[in-house]
Amino acid sequence: MSERLLDVRDLKIEIDTRRGRAVVVDGIDLHVDKGETLGVVGESGCGKSLTMLSLVGLLPNRIHTTGGSAHFAGTDLLRMQPAELRAVRGGRIGFVFQDPMTSLNPVMRIGDQLMESLRQHKRLDKAAARQRAGELLKLVGIPGAEQRLESFPHELSGGMRQRVMIAIGLACDPDLLIADEPTTALDVTIQAQIVELVKGLKQRLGMSVVWITHDLALIAGLADRIAVLYAGTVVEDAPAELLFRDPAHPYTRGLLASIPRLHGEDGARLSSIGGTPPEPGRRPQGCPFAPRCPLAEAMCHDIVPALAPLRGVATPHRVACHVANRVREAA
Amino acid sequence: MTTQPATAPLRDDEPPVNLWRDAWARLSRNRLAVLSLAIIGLLAFVAVFGPWLTPFDFLSQNLDARNLSPNWVHLFGTDELGRDVFSRVVYGTRTAFVVAIVVTGIAATLGVILGALAGYLGGPFDRFVMWFTDTTMSVPQLLLVVVINASLKPPLVNFMEAQYEATKNGFFRNAIIIDFVLVFGSMALILWPPYARLIRAQVLSIRSRPYVTAARALGLTTPIIIARYIIPNAIGPLIVAISAGLGNAMVLESAFSFLGVGVNPPIPSWGNMISDGLQVWRNHAHLLAAPAIVLGVATIAFSFLGDGLNDALNPRGRK
Ligand SMILES: Nc1ncnc2c1ncn2[C@@H]1O[C@H](COP(=O)(O)OP(=O)(O)O)[C@@H](O)[C@H]1O
Ligand SMILES: [Mg+2]
Repeated sequence: MSERLLDVRDLKIEIDTRRGRAVVVDGIDLHVDKGETLGVVGESGCGKSLTMLSLVGLLPNRIHTTGGSAHFAGTDLLRMQPAELRAVRGGRIGFVFQDPMTSLNPVMRIGDQLMESLRQHKRLDKAAARQRAGELLKLVGIPGAEQRLESFPHELSGGMRQRVMIAIGLACDPDLLIADEPTTALDVTIQAQIVELVKGLKQRLGMSVVWITHDLALIAGLADRIAVLYAGTVVEDAPAELLFRDPAHPYTRGLLASIPRLHGEDGARLSSIGGTPPEPGRRPQGCPFAPRCPLAEAMCHDIVPALAPLRGVATPHRVACHVANRVREAA
Repeated sequence: MTTQPATAPLRDDEPPVNLWRDAWARLSRNRLAVLSLAIIGLLAFVAVFGPWLTPFDFLSQNLDARNLSPNWVHLFGTDELGRDVFSRVVYGTRTAFVVAIVVTGIAATLGVILGALAGYLGGPFDRFVMWFTDTTMSVPQLLLVVVINASLKPPLVNFMEAQYEATKNGFFRNAIIIDFVLVFGSMALILWPPYARLIRAQVLSIRSRPYVTAARALGLTTPIIIARYIIPNAIGPLIVAISAGLGNAMVLESAFSFLGVGVNPPIPSWGNMISDGLQVWRNHAHLLAAPAIVLGVATIAFSFLGDGLNDALNPRGRK
């Protein structure tokens, strides 16, 4: 069996509000093996970013982890001292954020920004850090890398900036690269280029990747495994090709059905899921998806389903649904 | 989110430049800003070296040459005591710069420290500083300065007198020193709140920008983040504010002189010259015009320079 790199169990995140604490992330279970690419999919606001930020102690004010564990290479990140955690950030875990326009320091040259974490974590001197920075820009396919070190962020296009962000995320040879919707702010053609870039880099460098997105189609060719999030819980977790071929959770099916198929039959309707996810602090009592679920039964509104392996399949395919097993067996 | 198209091409034709050199290049393309800078440079030169270059001593009276209109000997004419107005304006330039630099320096330092702390720390300290700035800014400046001046003067005079008694050092009996301390103190006290608010707002907004989160995600330490990510991004507006603030301080000093709480005669300041000139302007307009025009030119120059800096220091705003 392959080795676990990251193992998040029952993670709970709450927000302090004027009306008390609101749960945003309610018992997330996630794991990433060495060398694996995990796609994390979910609608905007379902807690994807907060989950990742909580792992490295970067939650905004008034938002706290209130339960669970997150073991990274054997150590629980949630119980680390701030200084230890800082060594993990940018060192063993690299980040790429959503908006390349605002995630780079506008008054600092690209080269200097690339050198920051090299100097912090690897204790490289200026010359060595600079050389490595040039190599990194080449690695992410930026033309004229050496000259680009001197550029300011505003002199680069959005796609180029995101390449720089990826180079920064990879600077210290992390074991894990967490990319939080890295292509959402980019043009469609550039999105595909960035996906290809990360795919290639992963093959060359062998790190694990967590790729967060709200766009299931985007990561079809990238992710080894996909975890589907809904309202702060994992509702389905399966190898990518299995999830696309045989989705078990009604929510995943809804998501898949709403992907427009370019080569689909003429007149095929785009189906989408009616309603909206619950707001933090207004979670229903039972399954969070029940109010929108076409298959919901009485028990769905009362009891929260656990994330459990699907019956009768060999590969690990976990789903949090009371009716999924029964519906599949009936079919 | 951005004014640039996401697919703006890489510009390889442009040589890479340093931020400050880049800003300087943009500033030097702005004609108004360059002119302003030249005027300020000239005035600064006059402030430093002027008193050695003037044809007359600013204090020497010539009762045979009173109230002369401008002529080739006395470029700006003479006043009612026969003193050379040009020499007095030149010396007033020094007063104006000393007041502006010292007052703006104290006010900006105080404002940056208190504002940055308020922004970082939040909580009760933030509320106290904000309450203080709100209160100060809601009272008319001139009223406030008269009150501060009146309440600072007696203790200061007593203190200086006590120092004199203890040391017998003539320095402590120098009325000019007391004057300057009062003017500096009261002006700085009313001018720091805008700097504090500016820096606090900057810190608050920059602290939650994505690049600060990204810097934290790189595992950088807090001092590095403050020094390289927060302060450099807050400094542009501060420089702009200081540039305009220098001009404002000069105007404010004049207003104080007019109220009799500024730099007092016989030390020439544009302010006390204007206020003296106002009483006789019908008959001797040059006594008002000379200092007023110089003051006007100086403040306009500072304000245009501030605008130019504003454009130049914003790397995204470039054309
Ligand atoms: N700084 C914040 N203050 C208050 N609520 C927040 C903050 N950040 C996120 N939230 C709330 O937490 C929930 C999850 O946010 P997030 O993890 O950013 O979602 P996602 O990344 O999946 O789009 C959202 O409902 C959002 O409204
Ligand atoms: Mg997000």
